[in-house]
Amino acid sequence: MSAELLPDMTLTLLLLIMAWGALYAPQRSDAMALFIAFGVVVALIWARLDAPDLALAEAAIGAGLTGVLLMHAARALPDELHRSNRTATYWGALAFAVVASLMFLAHLLTDDSLLNAGLLDTDSDVTPSLRVLADANVADSGVSHPVTAVLLNFRAWDTLLELLVLLFALSGLRQLFPRESAPDDHATSRWPESLALMSAWARVLAPLLVVTGGYLLWRGSSAPGGAFQAGSLLAAAAVMLRLTGLLPALRWSSVWLRLSVVAGALFFLSVAAATAIWGDGWLTYPAAASGLLIVSIEIFATLSIAITLSLLVIGEWEDLRS
Amino acid sequence: MTDTPLMTAIELYLTLGVAVFLLSLHGLMTLHDPIRRLIAVNLMGAGTFLVMVSLARRSEVPDPVLHALVVTGLVVAISATAFALRLIIAAHTEGGKQRDREDRNTEGGGKQPP
Amino acid sequence: MNFALLSLAIPLFSGLLLLLCGRALRTRITGFIAIASTLISLVCAWFALQEVAAAGTSLLLNLGGWETGLAIRMRLSSLSALLLLFTALMHLLIGLYAGLNRAGINRDFWALSCFLHGSLAALWLSADLFNLYITLELLGLTAVAMVALSGKKAYRPAAHYLILSLAASLFYLLGVALLYGRYGELDVLLLAPRTEADVTTRLALLLMTTGLMLKSALWPLHLWLPPAHASAPTAVSALLSGLVVKGPLYILWVLWSEVAPPALAQQIGPVLAIAGMIALTAGGLSAMRSPSIKTLVAYSTVAQLGYALMALGLLLTWQLPQMHIALWLFVIAHGLAKASLFLAAGEMQSSLGTRRVAGLRGATQTVPVAMFAFAVAGGSLIGLPPSGGFLAKWVLLEPLLSQPQNWPWALGVLLGTLVSAAYIFRVVALSFDRARINPPDINPDRVGHWLALLPALMVWGMALSGEWLIQLLAGGGV
Repeated sequence: MSAELLPDMTLTLLLLIMAWGALYAPQRSDAMALFIAFGVVVALIWARLDAPDLALAEAAIGAGLTGVLLMHAARALPDELHRSNRTATYWGALAFAVVASLMFLAHLLTDDSLLNAGLLDTDSDVTPSLRVLADANVADSGVSHPVTAVLLNFRAWDTLLELLVLLFALSGLRQLFPRESAPDDHATSRWPESLALMSAWARVLAPLLVVTGGYLLWRGSSAPGGAFQAGSLLAAAAVMLRLTGLLPALRWSSVWLRLSVVAGALFFLSVAAATAIWGDGWLTYPAAASGLLIVSIEIFATLSIAITLSLLVIGEWEDLRS
Repeated sequence: MTDTPLMTAIELYLTLGVAVFLLSLHGLMTLHDPIRRLIAVNLMGAGTFLVMVSLARRSEVPDPVLHALVVTGLVVAISATAFALRLIIAAHTEGGKQRDREDRNTEGGGKQPP
Repeated sequence: MNFALLSLAIPLFSGLLLLLCGRALRTRITGFIAIASTLISLVCAWFALQEVAAAGTSLLLNLGGWETGLAIRMRLSSLSALLLLFTALMHLLIGLYAGLNRAGINRDFWALSCFLHGSLAALWLSADLFNLYITLELLGLTAVAMVALSGKKAYRPAAHYLILSLAASLFYLLGVALLYGRYGELDVLLLAPRTEADVTTRLALLLMTTGLMLKSALWPLHLWLPPAHASAPTAVSALLSGLVVKGPLYILWVLWSEVAPPALAQQIGPVLAIAGMIALTAGGLSAMRSPSIKTLVAYSTVAQLGYALMALGLLLTWQLPQMHIALWLFVIAHGLAKASLFLAAGEMQSSLGTRRVAGLRGATQTVPVAMFAFAVAGGSLIGLPPSGGFLAKWVLLEPLLSQPQNWPWALGVLLGTLVSAAYIFRVVALSFDRARINPPDINPDRVGHWLALLPALMVWGMALSGEWLIQLLAGGGV
């Protein structure tokens, strides 16, 4: 066993144990804790695989927002909803999972078509692969960080639809608070008092998160970072301030809230329509203005992502309906 | 198997991704508690992303396209997870009794007075 | 191409606008805006269809103006134009029902229905595997949100639906990742000539097929559909059964008829066709036994998707262009008929105050128009001439009957027809039972009943434009 593989082996083993625990730990609260720990190990693996953009996103999303979400669930649903977990453990299916993974590994070791295809050396008779073209065109995209170039220029349509995913999830969440008048069982604050003790921490941490988020947004055009990482950090800050009672409830009746929720998608879609009508085609940015357009799209997107994610995590009746 | 010197870190992580995917698929099929099922789906997502990121690392400079796809996938995953979790909580908490009764009267559901 | 983009962008814009305006607009105006935008989108889809018919070939658009291979491409083929038109038409018919029937509908329905329309349009137009993944997620999320419109009783089926839908998307995504790893491409048309029948490709296609079959509730992965579709508000059930399950089916078709190497497609074809045959019978039998009206209609969706799956399987096995026509005729005929069936079922439920099939006794007398709509739409599902369902079934049966070795397949279709006839006649026969009439609401909602009949009349009208539809689809759709 080669020595340089040792950290990878350790991470692999750790991740498998976390995954097993997150699925089958006897207490559900333990399963949730292990799931959050799983996210941390994944972030480590991403740093190990040279994916700093993802490590940042995972740290903000995985550790911060998912943690709060699960805490919410743990409080609202104290008991296991079905107790019959023990009775049905299909060892056959489990054996299948193990055997299939080993078969996949054996396939990887014997056949290198997956490992060596689609790399920089392409056959001359076929069109160059997506990756080669992306590398070659970063200079014309208006930003210098390749991941940002892919997200906001080459595959901008994906990103636009992804902003809609956030928005649709929020529209779905609003259906859980169907009535326009305050529900009878509505309590003003359902978060435990002990959280208020954290407010001293929150006062220090939240501004730091906001500054870091702004920095990530700013540097996204040239280095790892960008709208999603910034947006999720800002969302984490907003969630923390809300939990500690430092931030008042947002109100859906305020036009500013609704505007900031739809701003990202609306602006992006308007850019798409404008380029189709007056420009060279759907989402074809004018060469001179592409850098500026990307930055403005990112700013609106960050705002929408931050507000939408924080509403998805902690939005209650007064945020979403009043 | 795993200590063959032929294996590289990329192969290890690719296999890990597939293993996590299958393990959590097993969990999704056998578990009944909806929260645990949701965790299982999230782990399936993590396995998928692990495969994508390992594939990105095959070349010396990681593939930016796959990284961008994973960023997109992560945002999709967190939004859907948040919605699903809130939906599960709403489905299993008491206190919606009255709303339930109103719905039975107006089929078509959730009709609001204009 | 610009008309197709308009047809896609208008619903998205109006959905965002409705969300932004919120309660500043009255419910009636909200509905009006949504229906008006659907109408404009319908007109644009019509012009897009003319455009692609005039061009004679499918039109491609490189988004962002990047070169082929880098850009996400949109493809407007005669099939995708037809599906755009079909989507807008279904939204219009169901929107009119939702806006004009007496029970009314939650205000949020309108924004969500605009979003659903936009997501489907994005799906039909996309020619990029990862972009298709995002449209699948969009579709799944809006569908679940719309099921949740029903209120608390629908939350459990909605949560179940969402979890399965997310798992299915991940199956698809893992397959896309493997294909990208193997070939370095995401574009459907660039992948098509390059795929080989090796282990990685097989694994990827298998994963994607599993995910897509789960998403479109194809047998044996259909169990989530009846509770989810039956618990949604009536107009939503119609949209879900008529349109939403067709999205993943389209991707399945793209995957196997274009991306997969033909040798593999010929291997999988019979498997899909047999699954389709089993779906026809098993879904039909469940529909026959179902105690509630809406569950009956939902199980009939499972059964009817069997025809489409069978047509797809036989298309792959024999590479017959005629099967392609049959597949999409089924999709359109089923969409219209199912819309009518669900709307009629919902209307009868609220007029007669019962959810049980047994409560429909004497419905021909008490709610004649709604019952007529149910019977007429059911006739198309059975395939009575000259309905749209008959047209599709005829195109499917012709090559089956001409060769004696294909008769077992024809027998499957026949069996499916008998079972569908059985569950439709079960309802119709009950409704003629005048001995023990279930008394209706004093003042039934006539407008709603007539609007439920409208899609059923259109599916019978399909026969008039049958020649045109077959011509349109004959090009192979690409």
